[in-house]
Amino acid sequence: MGEAIVITSGKGGVGKTTSSANIGTALAMLGKKVCMMDTDIGLRNLDVVMGLENRIIFDVIDVATGSCRLEQALIKDKRFDHLYLLPAAQTKDKLALSVDAARLIVGRLKSQFDYVIIDCPAGIEHGFRVAITGADQAVVVTTPEQAAVRDADRVIGLLEAERMPSPKLIINRIRPHMVKNGDMLDIDDIVNILSLDLLGVVPDDENVIRAANHGEPTVMTPDSKASLAYRNIARRILGDPVPLMNLDEDAGFFKRMRKLIGLR
Amino acid sequence: MPDSASMPTDGERRQLVAVKGIRNGLLFSIAEDAAFAEVYSELQETLQGHGRKSEAKGAVSAYVDFGDRILSEEEDLAVRALFSGLRTLSLGGLDGAPERRGFRPREPYVYKGTVRSGQIVEHDGDIVIIGDVNPGGQLIASGDVYVMGYLRGSAHAGAGGDDRAIIAATYFDPLQVRIASVLRRSPGASTSPAEMEFAYLDGEQMAVDRMSVLGQYRARLHATRAVL
Repeated sequence: MGEAIVITSGKGGVGKTTSSANIGTALAMLGKKVCMMDTDIGLRNLDVVMGLENRIIFDVIDVATGSCRLEQALIKDKRFDHLYLLPAAQTKDKLALSVDAARLIVGRLKSQFDYVIIDCPAGIEHGFRVAITGADQAVVVTTPEQAAVRDADRVIGLLEAERMPSPKLIINRIRPHMVKNGDMLDIDDIVNILSLDLLGVVPDDENVIRAANHGEPTVMTPDSKASLAYRNIARRILGDPVPLMNLDEDAGFFKRMRKLIGLR
Repeated sequence: MPDSASMPTDGERRQLVAVKGIRNGLLFSIAEDAAFAEVYSELQETLQGHGRKSEAKGAVSAYVDFGDRILSEEEDLAVRALFSGLRTLSLGGLDGAPERRGFRPREPYVYKGTVRSGQIVEHDGDIVIIGDVNPGGQLIASGDVYVMGYLRGSAHAGAGGDDRAIIAATYFDPLQVRIASVLRRSPGASTSPAEMEFAYLDGEQMAVDRMSVLGQYRARLHATRAVL
């Protein structure tokens, strides 16, 4: 029996889909059998970020309504044998997928895969309920902005009310130099407010945008900082105690970069 | 006999139990300064009389007002036993008429954990939070609010109109505090939060002071009326 992990945030645009794609891919790179499930019905993105858009024939709504078998809707990733995607429907709306149907599908996926990564839509309405229903664990993604932290706090409260065992936190898109100048919330501030275990800190990295536009998750480009962060997150999910990249390390990294440039 | 001389005779006997009809049922007002045994026997008589007269079954709520008398556990049980034997009355409470209960202190509500954005902790009485109150979290108490942690959200003490209520926190950095009907917003750009402070009403004005002077504030209130 596998484990279902929902990636959620409350606020939109903080990097749920990017995180889902990268964590899913990183787990597959570590040899796990992984299925990513997109629950953002009507606004599907995960297939685009993964570069699998052109392979979609059936989607999760077809599975829920019995129009196809679950296996028919699963899309095998072109790069990894153990990585699959269950895409969302683009033409329906959130209400087309019921909480019960979603729980059933997640349960069946769990029996076939080591990890089921559920990409949650923004918001706290029906789509959110559907996404968290079958999950054993939750990962809350936030960015170092007041609004994102506020929404994350709200979502954590809702997850706790659903008796989700303590969610984990990913702080995405941190800019070390802005934190240093006091223009951005720092990691400790965020962790103090949200009082959650930190699963990882992902620095702001142009490579992430570039990779997403090419349909290739960042984790596959080995030298980017964000890639390393996501691979560390995947290892922590597997129970590997990888030390967190802290800001000092980041500063060290940038110093090293500057040194490299200076040498050139 | 000197003993019998000091015993009150029927004629001069003071009424120890007064029965009054109130909106919610019957109110039994008990004299505060009489011995419990006397009060008990008179209450027993009164109730027996009532039982004979009334024919309604269990429809009427009875409230007993002991004033400032504090009942021991046995006394409390004895009084309850008196009422439980009756079919015509059901005991509503031993704290007086239901309206009066609003002015008595209630059990504090202790919440352990973080009060997060969108969550509301509401209690008729004092609220104690062992944890943080995050921005967007809300506390509403008819009594005091105590936060053993960060107060970053909103707190309303004395929500029923009690202007003696206070709001205290280990780290006092709220978005909004309200006591009775007086509201105060945070000054905006938050510096480091004040440690161990509490908000109280000084007349119509809200004031914030160090926790160490809370005792003095309480003592000042005590001079005029009873304190929780």
